[in-house]
Amino acid sequence: MQTFHSSQSVRPFKMRKSFATRLEEVAGIRAKFPTKVPVIVERYHREKYLPLLDKTKFLVPQELTMTQFITIIRSRMALNATQAFYLLVSNKSLASMSLTMAEVYRDYKDEDGFVYMTYASQEMFGCLLPSTGGKLADHLLTT
Amino acid sequence: MDAATLTYDTLRFEYEDFPDTKEPVWILGRKYSVFPEKEEILLDVTSRLWFTYRKNFPAIGGTGPTSDTGWGCMLRCGQMIFAQALVCRHLGRDWRWIKGKKQTDNYFNVLNAFIDKKDSYYSIHQIAQMGVGEGKSIGQWYGPNTVAQVLKKLATFDTWSSLAVHIAMDNTVVMEEIRRLCKSNWMCAGASAFPTLDSDLLYNGYPEEAEVTDRLWKPLVLLIPLRLGLTDINEAYIETLKHCFMMSQSLGVIGGKPNSAHYFIGYVEEELIYLDPHTTQPAVEPSDSGCIPDESFHCQHPPCRMSIAELDPSIAVGFFCNTEEDFNDWCQQIKKLSLIRGALPMFELVERQPSHFSNPDVLNLTPDSSDADRLERFFDSEDEDFEILSL
Repeated sequence: MQTFHSSQSVRPFKMRKSFATRLEEVAGIRAKFPTKVPVIVERYHREKYLPLLDKTKFLVPQELTMTQFITIIRSRMALNATQAFYLLVSNKSLASMSLTMAEVYRDYKDEDGFVYMTYASQEMFGCLLPSTGGKLADHLLTT
Repeated sequence: MDAATLTYDTLRFEYEDFPDTKEPVWILGRKYSVFPEKEEILLDVTSRLWFTYRKNFPAIGGTGPTSDTGWGCMLRCGQMIFAQALVCRHLGRDWRWIKGKKQTDNYFNVLNAFIDKKDSYYSIHQIAQMGVGEGKSIGQWYGPNTVAQVLKKLATFDTWSSLAVHIAMDNTVVMEEIRRLCKSNWMCAGASAFPTLDSDLLYNGYPEEAEVTDRLWKPLVLLIPLRLGLTDINEAYIETLKHCFMMSQSLGVIGGKPNSAHYFIGYVEEELIYLDPHTTQPAVEPSDSGCIPDESFHCQHPPCRMSIAELDPSIAVGFFCNTEEDFNDWCQQIKKLSLIRGALPMFELVERQPSHFSNPDVLNLTPDSSDADRLERFFDSEDEDFEILSL
């Protein structure tokens, strides 16, 4: 697996742009592509295992299901089927995989008009014991 | 209170007893009330196999670590949830461990599958070494999904238990996949491993349709790795999580608090009840007669508790369905659960893989250049573009 550093973080989309700009952006893109849903996909800021996507903003056909959307993202990251990957909508909920993007948009769109999704794998568990200093350093190096 | 309480008394400073509450205590699908069933609750808890850090076991891989203190907690929790599956498979949910009482060979066979030596089916040695294939070097920390994936691989060598292990990814349980898995290769793998069913058939005189179907079902271990929030668990999932401990098929949940893995076996009020692997005990060596001194594999003090809200969102939920009927019943319960108001489902149960899942067209969805051409750059110039997906 590739290694990524948590320092390789990017300011969240919402912090990079003002509310007014985001609102305007959604209005513009929705007018041009009324059948597509504007989605922001970002990596959880404490994620250590999954790579960064090269894109943050997606326009997704409204009839696409969550399953299909996740399949696309998983294949972009070249994840294998047994790797944990979760897309949390509005930082909170696992969207049902059978929902279409139109339904996700209806249920979860932000007041600025985007749907926000954050991806993360799972946390790893272990103890920070002084006696395992070597192991800990090892752990930090390899993740 | 009787003699059994004396041992708890000595530890009472460290381990808080159950609260005096009228609310039910749920332990792996069994409902108890603290009054008057406290002894039964503690006996149920003590009967679970408790795996902790150990020291002075044979070096992993011959030259590796001889202790798992500091790194093995999730591996131990994986052992505990899997041991519960083996207990259900070979001894039954009603089986109880009573200190000093002679146990059956089947019990020692289950315990032996987890002993810290290289040739036990699910030893820390096997788990740590199989984890290398999942990108984990020996001594590295695991998550719930990591240990589930490793246990699934190790289970294929355990022909004695002949389990079907399914790990439901992407918070979706596909019934069709599970039926296919549980009904495959049963005849060759299970023919000799299921003498009890044969005797049941003889006892009943004639095989009923349902019994024939039962025999064509490999006992299922279903593990569902989830992430119920980013930093904290989303409260909307708490009710559903509690319900998992109320189902008779429950194997509990592996997860923890940040950095500390626990094996959750039930709940009372707003607290989870768990077995904690964070105690280092000396490794146990089987005697020449094959008998294993087993007292240190049972937690003989009241179990730990923690607030559900403190749960780290990364977990794996486990279920055991010995028969197809158990599985059908589980599906019914999950469907009912989705109708409870205020309880957000943690995973989705579907009959078959959602459509087009394996359709290559979906994977080939790429930026659509015609769309991109239509998209004039009327947004600010430093802005990143939309990635436009088209069907």
